[in-house]
Amino acid sequence: MFFSDKENSASKNFIFTAVIWLIVGMTMGLTGAIEFTAPDMSAGIPQITFSRLRPTHINTVAFGWLSMANIGIVLYIIPTLTRSKLFSNKLANFVCLVWNLAIIGGIICLTNGYTEGREYAEFPVPIDVMVLIGLLSLSYVVYMTAITRTVKKLYVSLWYMLGAFFWMPIVYFIGNRTFVRLDGLNDSIVNWFYGHNILGMWFTTLGVGIAYYMIPKLTGRPLWSHSLSMLGFWTIAFFYAPTGTHHILQSPVPEWLKALAVVFSVALVIPVITVLTNFFMTMKGNWWQLANNLPLRFVLTGALFYFITCIQGPFQATRSINWYIHFTQWVPGHAHAALLGAFTFFDWGAIYYIFPRVTGHQFYSVALARAHYWLTFIGFWIFYAAFTIAGLVQSAGWHAGIPVNIWSTELVPYWIFRAIGGSMMWFGNILFFINILQTFRGVKPLDLPDVEPAMSPMKS
Amino acid sequence: MNNKNYLLPGLVIIFSFGMIIFSTVLLPNFIFKPMPSEFAVVYTPLEARGRKIYLREGCVNCHSQFSRPQDRDFGPLVMAGDYVYETPNLLGTIRTGPDLANEGGKHPDAWHKAHFINPRTVTPGSIMPPYSYLKDDEMKALVAYVQSLGKKRLVKYHRIYHPDELEKVLEKRKVNVDSSAAANAGRGIFQQNCATCHGTHGLGNGPNAIAISKKPANFSRPFFKDYDDVTWFWRVSEGVPGTRMPQWGKLLTEEQRWYLVAFLKTLPRENEVYPKDYESLDPEKWNEVQATSSKDLNSQKPAMIIETKGSPPGAGGGH
Repeated sequence: MFFSDKENSASKNFIFTAVIWLIVGMTMGLTGAIEFTAPDMSAGIPQITFSRLRPTHINTVAFGWLSMANIGIVLYIIPTLTRSKLFSNKLANFVCLVWNLAIIGGIICLTNGYTEGREYAEFPVPIDVMVLIGLLSLSYVVYMTAITRTVKKLYVSLWYMLGAFFWMPIVYFIGNRTFVRLDGLNDSIVNWFYGHNILGMWFTTLGVGIAYYMIPKLTGRPLWSHSLSMLGFWTIAFFYAPTGTHHILQSPVPEWLKALAVVFSVALVIPVITVLTNFFMTMKGNWWQLANNLPLRFVLTGALFYFITCIQGPFQATRSINWYIHFTQWVPGHAHAALLGAFTFFDWGAIYYIFPRVTGHQFYSVALARAHYWLTFIGFWIFYAAFTIAGLVQSAGWHAGIPVNIWSTELVPYWIFRAIGGSMMWFGNILFFINILQTFRGVKPLDLPDVEPAMSPMKS
Repeated sequence: MNNKNYLLPGLVIIFSFGMIIFSTVLLPNFIFKPMPSEFAVVYTPLEARGRKIYLREGCVNCHSQFSRPQDRDFGPLVMAGDYVYETPNLLGTIRTGPDLANEGGKHPDAWHKAHFINPRTVTPGSIMPPYSYLKDDEMKALVAYVQSLGKKRLVKYHRIYHPDELEKVLEKRKVNVDSSAAANAGRGIFQQNCATCHGTHGLGNGPNAIAISKKPANFSRPFFKDYDDVTWFWRVSEGVPGTRMPQWGKLLTEEQRWYLVAFLKTLPRENEVYPKDYESLDPEKWNEVQATSSKDLNSQKPAMIIETKGSPPGAGGGH
């Protein structure tokens, strides 16, 4: 499986293993959410104690699921857009193997307490090295594919993807440089340069790049404006990277750095507005297609959550709003809206379209896919609302000077709702996994190809 | 193949990202070099080990370590120089639990240990997971580290529970908590202030207990045996947040509270015999009483009690 040289085999392997990590990571997240309502559930077992589970959950879904799914999708999209073969499926498959080993090793290390302790960079050094080797090899594959392309012009998706594969290895290297020992606050400044740019220069750029490919492809209409898409790309390239310090806005780091972070965070409204204008204007007159195009529905739901999270983002980075909502559950709510709401929905939509094309099998069941959509969509709203309201309650408690012991008991209903929303999404993704597994095995599909034309490989 | 057209954009990307890395990663490290402030903690080997355990257990995922101007009850503000020896940083980005920047000395060591083993025994309603799996030496190191947080920042505050400060306070203490005279004095204070909820015998069944949803502590519960003097004193002074137990530190003098501690220590625990005439507080007599049938004596029912099926008399919440 991991030593194949067949076309699209790397894409297939990346997507399939990513879905396994999605289930693993979501199970961890759900366990953590349930532990909030039943704190004695961990029963003195160190491996499932919340404080160890949380970093493991983050790293599993961020590197295991989202990165690998993004890569799998990108490895399909780049050859399509450049009309050339992937430079080396063998190397990409090898990276897939390395990353899977890295995630397995990372989960074992983190649950057993071998951690670097910096947020998003918890993986110990050997795992970091494996991830970095994978990233550099993939960058090599992707750039070589782009250089040997047969299409003259680079579509905007390629700009985003090539950009991501340039930025991410550098960002990852800076974030995990354990051989340079920095004093406390400098350590946290560099940590948050990494912690925020892994979202900005990796998940956002790949996610938006995927959506830029998927929406015109699924609707069959050209992109509304190429110049606007370029504006979005260049503003993201210039404005995203210096914003990391807004995560530690009230700590005693230098004021100029905070000012820089706030200004650039607010400026991020520009790429967001341009990207979403482009998405929604491309959809103009095509909204009817949502009715019988499930992948498109996923992608546009992702765009909706992208809108929510990216309007929240610039505003909550300003000092006056950050003053109120920092340190609360609002912030993980925002993070989930970005990574789970926006980019994961983009990826689900893309996988429903791409997986049949890389395996050559029609998707096993449309019904399961529709159940997946509604369970995750409704579940996410419950989950997100619980996070956000809990954050506001928490913050009100602090600013009224009420001790944590008192208001924490007021949050119990929100923890329960969060776990309910989480279980719905978890269940939806079990269905998704069954669907992917059956498609991967090539089981005879339950539906005719014309029920969801985008989910069968017949027509592209 | 037309790749030359993309040379300029490529260079712009590389150059702009280089500028960003220079300005937000390298520049801060060149020009932002705070000197260690007087509050920067140089950890002892035990505390440093505790810090590693704090890091390993991922405490940072729920507890931040910096107080902000708008925080009302997390103590004095932190400064840049306080963090010079903090690598890797444990600033944290979320407060599911309280901020710990000034935690040292807020609670006695025994409280911390009990809290790590099961947080709900000392803080009802807490959602912190139990860390009962920590070994004894790890627990000791972790408690030492937590007590070191904000150690020096709090000199001007009355933080008597810090191990270093505690000795001085105990030396100055005028009350001998082991004497029956002090216990007798404490008994009066108990009957005046505490008996309405905790009951005259300290079984958590005073008249007010009926109306309180989180029941007052039943001092006959065995785990109160583990309370040392300081933990008793801390509990009486700080009350139990989230329940009706007030902070007696604000209402009684320090001397009165020590008297109360002296009395509370004398209350019998569940597996001890309940003395008939314990009001005398004479240990000699207790031994006599113990010779008689314990079964008979335990069946004695205190005055105010609501009978519930199967539960022992007066089994209130024990905090």
